[in-house]
Amino acid sequence: MVDRVVVVGGGIAGVSTVAALRTGGFDGDLTVVDAGEFPYDRPPLSKEFLKGARDLKDIALQPAQWYDDQAVRLVNLTTVTALRPGIAGVELSDGTTLSADRVVLATGGRAARPPIPGSDSPRVHVLRTAEDAERLRTVLAPGARVLVVGAGLIGAEVASTALDLGCEIVLADPVRPPLTGVVGAEVAAWLHEVHAQRGITTVQAGVESFAEVGAGIEARLAGEDEPRVVDVVVLGVGMVPDTALAEAAGLEVDRGIVVDAGQVTSNPAILAVGDPTRTRRNGMLLPRTEHWEAAQHDGERAATTILGVAARAESAPWFWTDRHHLHVEAVGEMAAASTTVLRGRLGEPPFAAFGLREGRLVGAVGVDDSTAVRAARRMIDRGIAVDPTRLADTAVDLRRLLRG
Amino acid sequence: MSTGIRVASLDDIPEGEGIAVDKTITGTADNIALLRDDDGTVWALDDTCSHEEASLAEGWVEGGYVECPLHSSKFCLKSGEVQGLPATRNTCPHRVNVRDGEIYLFPNEAP
Repeated sequence: MVDRVVVVGGGIAGVSTVAALRTGGFDGDLTVVDAGEFPYDRPPLSKEFLKGARDLKDIALQPAQWYDDQAVRLVNLTTVTALRPGIAGVELSDGTTLSADRVVLATGGRAARPPIPGSDSPRVHVLRTAEDAERLRTVLAPGARVLVVGAGLIGAEVASTALDLGCEIVLADPVRPPLTGVVGAEVAAWLHEVHAQRGITTVQAGVESFAEVGAGIEARLAGEDEPRVVDVVVLGVGMVPDTALAEAAGLEVDRGIVVDAGQVTSNPAILAVGDPTRTRRNGMLLPRTEHWEAAQHDGERAATTILGVAARAESAPWFWTDRHHLHVEAVGEMAAASTTVLRGRLGEPPFAAFGLREGRLVGAVGVDDSTAVRAARRMIDRGIAVDPTRLADTAVDLRRLLRG
Repeated sequence: MSTGIRVASLDDIPEGEGIAVDKTITGTADNIALLRDDDGTVWALDDTCSHEEASLAEGWVEGGYVECPLHSSKFCLKSGEVQGLPATRNTCPHRVNVRDGEIYLFPNEAP
């Protein structure tokens, strides 16, 4: 009998876990331990929050009243210092211990800081938390020279926001074009071109070193003779999963907290959800999926495990990114496609690209065309055979195609 | 009791889709989304997603819910109740009546 659940971490995975437990009828004690003032949503940190158009309260994951309504105890401004696997409990930074029947690790991660010489300068920023975003916002003044390192999701979004704030931007990434694996080569190339079209200088290079000079910072890029001098550097080069508590408790960790298909770690009383987890399925250890909805689904799945009910059917992975006033969504695995079909004209939103393999849809990406992506998701999930010419025909309504 | 505002014909909205009715017509604070479920029924909700700027009329309508075209928060067509993050607030439902293939909207009346 599970009467007490403690969730460690108040990101989307942790909050989704408690929300799904209550929705599923769990009426025991529910506690969320979070280092911040209250759980907030991270996607706006690189966009509206960074811009200053929204404050922390605006991006709260749940209104304050929700915790009372749902009888969720929020232990804020507190971290968990150790797990007590024997009692499925946790030790808190204030010295107290919380006992539980199940602990759910939703510890997230931190922004990666690769060992580039000089990257410990305060002028070199990362973006993961609201504090990071607030610190960065103060230096993204109009006219500020900004070097963004990494043109994946976070880097591209920060570059777009900084441009809107009037900064002068260099965007460096050794990969050309970034995101090819997730949106396909054609769309990735176009998305990367949009940076240049909007006046961002894109450079295909990695960074070798940083050095503070005067009020600025000098960056040496691979293959360039002269260093580039800027005011601000932002590293958007991925995240490092927070696995410290799991490791210290002797749980199986392999570049991520290893969980089964029900989010259970190697200790049956401890579950883990979200960014720091890796699922072992049919003996295969899958890569981490560091997307918002994947974390939400992890939380829902953990709740069904704790409740002892069936999890809802899996759906193809989906994510979005908003940049340069374009809404981009991708679903499935474009990298698994053998052919690509375009719907609409590349570079003239709304448009979408579909990835097919052996007559089935395996992935899709849409720019300002979420309907195409929502339809594609259902086609992938249901394994519907698709006719590429009809997919490409903008006169064919995809919702009707889905109904057959 | 008002007779409602005739805002569209049923044929204007294919099943699973929606249209937005401008607030200058509805007299409401927000535009109103007319959403036609895949069973053919028509519902009306405040058009702007309670999360960020997005028109629910452009969302995916299916099985009693509309999914926001931006970040996929779902709302109940009947009650406007939010079903999942990132939105946290409900959207306002309005009463709709279909007579002789014409859609009549009753802004600010409960469905």
